[in-house]
Amino acid sequence: MPRSIWNGRITFGLIAVPIRVHSATESHTIHFHQVHAQDGSRIRQKRICSKEGKEVPYEEVAMGYELRGGEYVLLQKDEIGAAAGDRSHTIGLEQFVEAEQVDPVFYNRTYYLGAGEGGEDAYRLLLDALRRARRTGLGRWVFHNREYLAAVRAGDDVLVLHTMRFAGELVGVEKLDIRAPSRKPTGRELEMAEQLVDSLHKKFRPGAFKDTYRDRVADLIKRKANGEEIELPEYDEPEAPDDLMSALEASLAKSGKRRS
Amino acid sequence: MPRSLWSGSLSFGLVNVPVVMVTAVRDIDLHFRQLHEKDGAPIEVQRFCSEEDVEVPWDEITRAYELQDGGQVIVTDAELEAIEPRRTRTIEIESFVSLDEVDPIYYDHPYYLLPAGSDDGSARAYRLLVEVMARTNRAALGRFVMRAKEYLAIVRAHDRALMLSTMLFADEIRPSNDIDAATQKSHKPSAQQLKAAVAVIEELSGDWEPNEWKDRYRRRLQDVVSRKRKGKTIKAPEPRDTTPEESPDLMAALERTLAELRN
Repeated sequence: MPRSIWNGRITFGLIAVPIRVHSATESHTIHFHQVHAQDGSRIRQKRICSKEGKEVPYEEVAMGYELRGGEYVLLQKDEIGAAAGDRSHTIGLEQFVEAEQVDPVFYNRTYYLGAGEGGEDAYRLLLDALRRARRTGLGRWVFHNREYLAAVRAGDDVLVLHTMRFAGELVGVEKLDIRAPSRKPTGRELEMAEQLVDSLHKKFRPGAFKDTYRDRVADLIKRKANGEEIELPEYDEPEAPDDLMSALEASLAKSGKRRS
Repeated sequence: MPRSLWSGSLSFGLVNVPVVMVTAVRDIDLHFRQLHEKDGAPIEVQRFCSEEDVEVPWDEITRAYELQDGGQVIVTDAELEAIEPRRTRTIEIESFVSLDEVDPIYYDHPYYLLPAGSDDGSARAYRLLVEVMARTNRAALGRFVMRAKEYLAIVRAHDRALMLSTMLFADEIRPSNDIDAATQKSHKPSAQQLKAAVAVIEELSGDWEPNEWKDRYRRRLQDVVSRKRKGKTIKAPEPRDTTPEESPDLMAALERTLAELRN
């Protein structure tokens, strides 16, 4: 079993479900570090006091909240931690909603929940009941000195927890400058676009998408390690169509050909 | 308006829509700066060359990959772009999927795509895509490269705009089969327990009203800052333990809960 990153319990009503939290995701990005271009040596970051011009050891670092005019309120790290919230290691599910009502834009990070010791029956009860009721539970989760809004739902045979974005964090469409076209799409354009959407419709199979770029970065590194020169190809920017209708027609003809 | 993070085009068959990408999430966190406790002066993070012990300006910094034998390979931005020159500037729609088939676990960061340029053609093609996706409740899948990383992206209609979310690749999602999810038969709830648990969930159900969920942490943090500013002592509150103990008798806990909720 993978290591858990948080242990506690979920409550709904008077029922307590002991749980363990596990990461559900892992990054496979190829990581680079910063080096000095001249001599290839590693870059090291130093914390320098702006008054003394000397390096500051970590123990002497405090946090500052900036007021107007470069003045700071100085806080210790544990004072900031005091804002974290309930420390009883409990996620109380306060409300349940239909999963379909939640726009995906709210979902942030995902974790798996495992049954805590002795709590297998309660865990299974919550998992099965959430699935049967087709609901997602909402509550607050204090994790790493911060309180999150968390959604708990039944995944495939496991309880899943998502941290959620707050509504106030989202940029509304009214804040955006979206240029309006001179006229609306015509019925014919919409019809053709819909056909094109249909012709490209597939079942969602996430495994079909491989991160080929990652492999090619690895390949680039290998070639450079062998002393190969890397050629930089030219690339022309595509342009927006002057004639939307004929671009749609040509696309449909092409996708029809590909399928037959 | 938020600033552009990527620009290129969204290609749909032979229709290219020039777009810019802006974030759909505002950073409203309270930000703290590191201070030197002794004199209260702000700390600046400077980049030093580990060899020469001198500060290095940004334009002399490049990235390197460390090889297993301890050697390293320097890789430039231009070389990384050259790997996928097309995907660095184009999001090519590869397929359309029904939005409700996509498990939320795949969603990563949300952005908006906005029509770029000043010509009417791109504004019209953009509007057409918004309308057709809203009508069909479908979302487009494609890939693109941003800041030396390839992303799988899902593009859908959101109000009058196109929203793009970066997605995790399937191999970035860990298998869940090694998690103890109490799947053994012996943990299966009785029909009576399940019925009561569903009834509790239904009693506590309501509509998803995102505006009603406030960021209480941010407020408490603001409060900590303003109390500290007035010279008050900051202490974490003692944990209050009002939550029920793990109940050995699930059915009794369910029944008591239902009685309380319905009262």
